[in-house]
Amino acid sequence: MTEFLQSLTVPFQYDYMIRAIWVSALVGGACGFLSPFVTLKGWSLMGDALSHAVVPGVVIAYIFGFPFALGAFIAGLLAAGAMAFIRAQSRIREDATIGIVFTSFFALGLVLISLFPSGMDLKTILYGNILAIADSDILQVIGISAATLLVIAFKWRDLMLYCFDPNQARSLGLRANVLHITLLALLAATCVAALQAVGAILVLAMLITPGATAYLLTDRFGTMMWLSAALGVATSLAGAYASYYINGATGGCIVTLQTLVFLAAFVFAPKRGMLASRRAMRTDVFEINQPRMDANERQ
Amino acid sequence: MKTDEVSLDVEGVSVAYPNGHQALSDASFRLGAGTICALVGVNGSGKSTLFKSIMGFVNPTAGRVRINGMPVKESLKKHLVAYVPQSEDVDWQFPVSVWDVVMMGRYGAMNFMRIPRAADKAQVEESLRRVSMWEFRDRQIGELSGGQKKRVFLARALAQGGRVILLDEPFTGVDVKTEEAIIALLHELRKSGAIIFVSTHNLGSVPEFCDQVVLINRTVLAYGPTADVFTAQNLAAAFGGVLREFQFERSTIQSHDGRAVTVLSDDERPLVFGKDGHLEYMDRGKHEELLRKRREEHE
Repeated sequence: MTEFLQSLTVPFQYDYMIRAIWVSALVGGACGFLSPFVTLKGWSLMGDALSHAVVPGVVIAYIFGFPFALGAFIAGLLAAGAMAFIRAQSRIREDATIGIVFTSFFALGLVLISLFPSGMDLKTILYGNILAIADSDILQVIGISAATLLVIAFKWRDLMLYCFDPNQARSLGLRANVLHITLLALLAATCVAALQAVGAILVLAMLITPGATAYLLTDRFGTMMWLSAALGVATSLAGAYASYYINGATGGCIVTLQTLVFLAAFVFAPKRGMLASRRAMRTDVFEINQPRMDANERQ
Repeated sequence: MKTDEVSLDVEGVSVAYPNGHQALSDASFRLGAGTICALVGVNGSGKSTLFKSIMGFVNPTAGRVRINGMPVKESLKKHLVAYVPQSEDVDWQFPVSVWDVVMMGRYGAMNFMRIPRAADKAQVEESLRRVSMWEFRDRQIGELSGGQKKRVFLARALAQGGRVILLDEPFTGVDVKTEEAIIALLHELRKSGAIIFVSTHNLGSVPEFCDQVVLINRTVLAYGPTADVFTAQNLAAAFGGVLREFQFERSTIQSHDGRAVTVLSDDERPLVFGKDGHLEYMDRGKHEELLRKRREEHE
């Protein structure tokens, strides 16, 4: 028995595991707080696009030796700008625009990596490598997460209003385009941070799955934000921890856990789950035959 | 003269969109304090463009909009313009309660972090009570009937304290009882000196509750008191061949209607013209009284 307990604490004997666990949790939390905005605004595709579009920025940053976060962030904003420009100047639809821009950026990243092979591993960018994260990179992740959390702490109500009803935001004299750019910048920033933990391909999961899960569990935005953040932190902690035992990719473990939680919510959520909807449908059919007493109140 | 007397001046407004579409050209009219004015025109006649230029979402290529003599931007900062959106434009699955939505009307008046003060809460409660939705304050907005949904957004406009209130199709999906309740509330607001500007396809109800009408088709065709503007000729001009016109056989028309009844219908409740202008078949005595009242109100 004591042997078993001892084996549970093994990961904590390694510095790199402890670091991987808490950095993942931090990233999971930052992404979790932002996730409700991204899912409710319908920016999933945009998040996917940005997470791929940051790749050339990372490569260029490594080649020229400046912080990878800066390179990635600039590339992300350039991609968002390019999408907005193409959409405004042509008749091409939004999803096509996003598709064109993010694949172009990603392709540029691939070309750059093959041209300058030294010191840059494509697999690290695509799948992340949090176990080998450098101290300077940790500092960047901390900086990004802190900034994200600060902006959300002060401005979440404005951002929520912007997601829900941009016209109302404008008609109250709030600057809607500033809110739009803020949200975009937060999205790009968290993409950059999550790149370290789970890699470019799985960033989207960190940004969508916790929010989508929370959305099935609550009808209040504030609750949704906290739930989503808690899910992000918990799955990242547990995923990074579990990856030690099954010797699997950290990013893969974290996202697999998030998916499991999502599936559980999808089926069992008390009001919005599949089973609950089925139950509600059955009762509705029943009620058509036998009207409830409060039918008047519901008009 | 009251200090909060409002006015809405649209002076020679033209709007062209970047794709070259000329949505409005040289539209002009003026509304003084205390009026319920209908905005009537076919789809694509520039109704929503006109609303957008009053709310400052689009900048006129020529002409200008003045609210209380101020440019739109300035009036938005004073939260003078409130907007009640069309039901189709709202994401009813968004995780916000009735209370949250109405509180959004107060954002403009709140501090940097939008933390509601006691005064904001009191205002929200009062607004909810005025539309009889206080009991529903904790409901998620998707769980309301069509009429209740409308009332929530009306309450938001009340909470905002807007003096120019724009309503987009307020009666679609609304039961007769709610329609009456909304109209009664609009009358109260008019009495308090607000300008209520209603975009509607519901031609039949216009003479009942609007004292003025603006007819548009890419420009303002006519505006002024309902009795002068809302005539069969003007409507035929505004709608071209789009209106459905029903011919009645003479035998079905009673003599007190002057044997000259025309029914005009856009897509909702038809508008019935007889010898004294609008007819209201359901209750004739009341109708004549109504027409007299409108005339007096306007004077």
